[in-house]
Amino acid sequence: MSRQELALALPPGRPARRWRARWMSVPVLCGLAVVAAWLIVGLTVHLWAPYDPVMLAGRRLQPPSAAHWLGTDALGRDVLVRTLYGVRYSLPIAAAVLAVAVAIGCALGAVAGFFGTLVDGIIMRLADITLSFPPMLLAMAIAASLGPGLVNAGLAMVIVWWPIYARLMRAQVLSIRALDHVEAAVAGGAKPGRVLIKHIVPLCWSPILVNATIDVGQVVLLIAGLSFIGLGAKPPTPEWGQMIAEGASSFYHWWIATGPGVAIFSLSLAFSFIGDGIRDLLDPRTMQE
Amino acid sequence: MTSPIRRTALARLLLATALAASVGGFAGPAAAAEDTPIVVARNMDVNSLDPARGFCDTCQIYLTAVYDTLLTLGDDNKTLVPKLATSWEANDDQTAFTFHIAPNATFADGSPVTSEDVAWTLQRLKNIKGDPSFLMDSLASIETPDDKTVVIHTSEPNSEFLGILAASYTGIINKKLAEANGATAGEDAATADQADTWFFANSAGGGAYELDSYRTGDELRLKANPNYWDKKPAISEVIIKQVEDAVTQAQMLQTGDADIAMQIDPDTAATISDPEIVVDTVPSFNFLYIAVSPGAKGNSVPLTKPVREAIADAIDYEGMIDFTVGGKGKLQPVAIPNGFPGTDDLPMPKQDLDKAKSLLAEAGLSDGFTIEAHYPAVNAYGVDISLMMQKVQQDLSRVNISLNLTPTTFAVWREEVGGDGIPMTAVYYAPDYFGSAQYVQYFSMIPGQPWAKRAGVGKVEDLGNGEKEAELLKKAMASSGDAMVGAYHDIALQMIDDKVIIPLVSPDLVLASRKGIEGVRYSACCNLALGQLSRD
Amino acid sequence: MTRTLIRRILMMPFLVLGIVTVAFMLSQITRGDPLAALIGERQMGNPTIVAAAKAKWGLDRSLPERYAIYLGNLVQGDMGTSFRTRQPVASDLSRRLPATLELVVAAVLIGGVTGVFLGVLAAKYRDTIVDTVVRLLALTGSSVPMFWLGLLVLFIFSVRLGILPGPGRLDTRTAAPEFVTGFFTIDSLLAGQFAKFREALAHLVLPASVLGWTVTGIVARLVRASMIDVMSQDFVLAARAKGAGAWRVLLNHGLRNALIPTLTILGFTFAYLITGAVLTETIFSWPGIGSYAVDAARSLDYPAIIGVTIVGGFAFLIANLLTDIAYAIVDPRVRTGGA
Repeated sequence: MSRQELALALPPGRPARRWRARWMSVPVLCGLAVVAAWLIVGLTVHLWAPYDPVMLAGRRLQPPSAAHWLGTDALGRDVLVRTLYGVRYSLPIAAAVLAVAVAIGCALGAVAGFFGTLVDGIIMRLADITLSFPPMLLAMAIAASLGPGLVNAGLAMVIVWWPIYARLMRAQVLSIRALDHVEAAVAGGAKPGRVLIKHIVPLCWSPILVNATIDVGQVVLLIAGLSFIGLGAKPPTPEWGQMIAEGASSFYHWWIATGPGVAIFSLSLAFSFIGDGIRDLLDPRTMQE
Repeated sequence: MTSPIRRTALARLLLATALAASVGGFAGPAAAAEDTPIVVARNMDVNSLDPARGFCDTCQIYLTAVYDTLLTLGDDNKTLVPKLATSWEANDDQTAFTFHIAPNATFADGSPVTSEDVAWTLQRLKNIKGDPSFLMDSLASIETPDDKTVVIHTSEPNSEFLGILAASYTGIINKKLAEANGATAGEDAATADQADTWFFANSAGGGAYELDSYRTGDELRLKANPNYWDKKPAISEVIIKQVEDAVTQAQMLQTGDADIAMQIDPDTAATISDPEIVVDTVPSFNFLYIAVSPGAKGNSVPLTKPVREAIADAIDYEGMIDFTVGGKGKLQPVAIPNGFPGTDDLPMPKQDLDKAKSLLAEAGLSDGFTIEAHYPAVNAYGVDISLMMQKVQQDLSRVNISLNLTPTTFAVWREEVGGDGIPMTAVYYAPDYFGSAQYVQYFSMIPGQPWAKRAGVGKVEDLGNGEKEAELLKKAMASSGDAMVGAYHDIALQMIDDKVIIPLVSPDLVLASRKGIEGVRYSACCNLALGQLSRD
Repeated sequence: MTRTLIRRILMMPFLVLGIVTVAFMLSQITRGDPLAALIGERQMGNPTIVAAAKAKWGLDRSLPERYAIYLGNLVQGDMGTSFRTRQPVASDLSRRLPATLELVVAAVLIGGVTGVFLGVLAAKYRDTIVDTVVRLLALTGSSVPMFWLGLLVLFIFSVRLGILPGPGRLDTRTAAPEFVTGFFTIDSLLAGQFAKFREALAHLVLPASVLGWTVTGIVARLVRASMIDVMSQDFVLAARAKGAGAWRVLLNHGLRNALIPTLTILGFTFAYLITGAVLTETIFSWPGIGSYAVDAARSLDYPAIIGVTIVGGFAFLIANLLTDIAYAIVDPRVRTGGA
């Protein structure tokens, strides 16, 4: 959902009013705290988790209790421990997917916006065509053709995501290119590549950053969605989407899917908060001055 | 892609896209049925509604309701009882079978069921080379001495032939009607028969019901056959509704949106405590198994007999039943369902870790090795195969064998298993009729049989007991009664010793229905007989 | 500006061709043999049957040949025959598209109305607790795993409380109204079957709300931003100075300003949801093209996969174009559009 929304909601040069309400800092802080907490958990969970994430921890299908705070699943594994381990898959993969998508998208978008004409036409048409496919369907098709697995799911996600950044970057480059000092530099005979890198790219970061931050949450969601339909993580990986799929098949044991469901929700929401906060802080107007 | 052109279809697509329609419509008369339709919630797996092509559990239900067979299974799931054939005889060497068709039997259009229809139907089933065509592998010729008598000759003794004729896929088709719509029974039927599409929207049988409408992935509607020659069904309309998962099926039962659901897993069933819902758990003839293929290309170490035996010994069978179906299942010693001919008094599988370890040590594999396990990621008979394989993974890790699990779609799985083979896989099987030969012809190591090919018989030396099995099968097919049962028992022992197909669990069947629905019964040939349903 | 638009319209056929091509190629690289969807397991090893099936479904031809044939047929409105349903894909889609459209229209309506309402509230009570809550709600909408939410609301509203019907477009025993538009709500009204209409409407509530929630967030945010934007402009300040009531100014000027971007984004959402409803349709047993796509993907039903992808891509293209046009009308400064 939000990929189109964002690509659209930040059209180039669209005047956004600058408002940096005081309350904003609270959600941002909350978001940061949640992400930090997950990071710490991801880094240290193996040190203090009372159970192994893939082995039997107790009787199967036990509701939450003192020994198992979120109960046990159909194989008697501790749901909480598995949920906590889950961040080790979701977060790094989401980060990697975005890093690659942003790098590819921005490079292509900058080139397209700056050099225009044929290059622009080709790259943007490619982006258009890719964006024309519903993300879930495209990711499904790619993941299915590459075979299941988290790495393949990640690759599929990069292919789905790069055009957004290409568009965004291109739009930014176009609007900045029209600024006086850039036009002056071009007129003054500076090498195009140099102008692009020295004068234009540094000014483009804010919307990219905002989008990338919010998108972390979206990538987490989509990876979980792919795993949910069996195209992401392979069992017994404690991946969230996979866990929800297992929980969905025994839905009356509500606790199995609740842990990973809340985990996805919290992480995704945290990144939305942060992204939203940065969006306000890095108001395009203030940045361009 | 090179299909008949349908120009109008896109036009209709565009029309449908238009949000507002200016054309008005008139109401059809509201369904004036006095009895409320019965709704069966199912995850339908229909591949075709043509008796000669369809091959699925839903197909069995549908075909049983719409096409009468010559014989059918009695309530004990073992005895053959008359249906279209009022009486029958088999010769002593089980090669000629004579049937006398009920004189009053008619098709839904009123025309009488004749011996010609029977002959045509069975020949078509054989020649169309669809999924269920293997049932007619031994069919040699059919004589029709008069309108109501059929004599069927088989090319070799086949003591199970009568049982096969109770399989829903052998339901008798109205020849005239089907032929008028592109069906043919000739030798070239596999390519010449064009009726597949027609059968998706029409039926040509003489069963208790007729096909009303079918919408893939949505619903299958059946209406009572007003001209039914036998006992008329009590319910005038039955709807099979596509409902993907067990949880939703259970929910629909609770809200009354569905009357019957048969795919609720025992864990979910255990959580239903609604006085309006009757949950009946019965032993089934379905089972899930793992298969170990020494001939698969992806093997890291040779899967010799001792290694396969070690794998079988390492599995915690009791725990498997507990973990996959919450204890609602049975152990099954061989790839022939419990209760089928020859399965009495077989040694039950059990875990023996010490033996497994010593077998692996002798093979020089005590440090362990890795096996690739690919399997279709589906839920079969209440068992989540992915979950089941994770349990196998846990068990095998205790003897240092690590499983690399890869769930796939069925289509990919089929290609893999038929191509390079899969070192270890897991699937399920359900009977098409009451009889053990269908299992031997699928799971034994007799050269040429499906699993023998997949496991690598012919490619790998000393794999399984195919020769003995072939010999015993011949014996079983030519005999009847205790001699036949004894022969199947011997085959079963050989198949256990193959250590290629390792059954893990025979899950109990959960028959859940709303209070007041009568006649919900599980049948080995027909799954659920819709014609017997009634409302209290 | 008009030149850009004209160029973009001229580009359309090429984009459509691109979509068709990618959709076609994508289906060709998919693992797994489509034959598995066409012939039985026991016949896979039978060369005569395999050859016959290949010939019948055109799989024995080379890739470029198949592509050319596909294009040729497509131009004539033929999208091939589904391996699975054995029906022409175009007629499968035309039967299922109305179900999806009805769901999506309802979702967009629900999302749009609640979104505007919340957006206006947030703008009016800017920087207060109301604003914060709206904002939270908006962000939540796009952060919750839909497949989980769908199961949850079904459980609560249908099973536990019993106030809304379960999955499906109508109660299971009700027959579909006679086909006119394919929208059960409209068709039942046209047929004068009011009970059926109420039923169809009740069945829409849960899936449409789940889908619509994501829309709510986007719209609320957009409405709030553009209203606040306009509220600080001179003519609005002037109106207020002249003594116009706060609400009146807000609705008269603010909402009007927010309308075009809102409509644009709703159009976009609409296009997105047509195939974005994949998981919702699966969970609610909604016989639309989303669940059709999942089934097709599972069984490697290529003609169906390509068909769905083309329809989805096409919907996007149209939405894209409309967006460009809308922007061009609203904001002449945008010369190059959103690409």
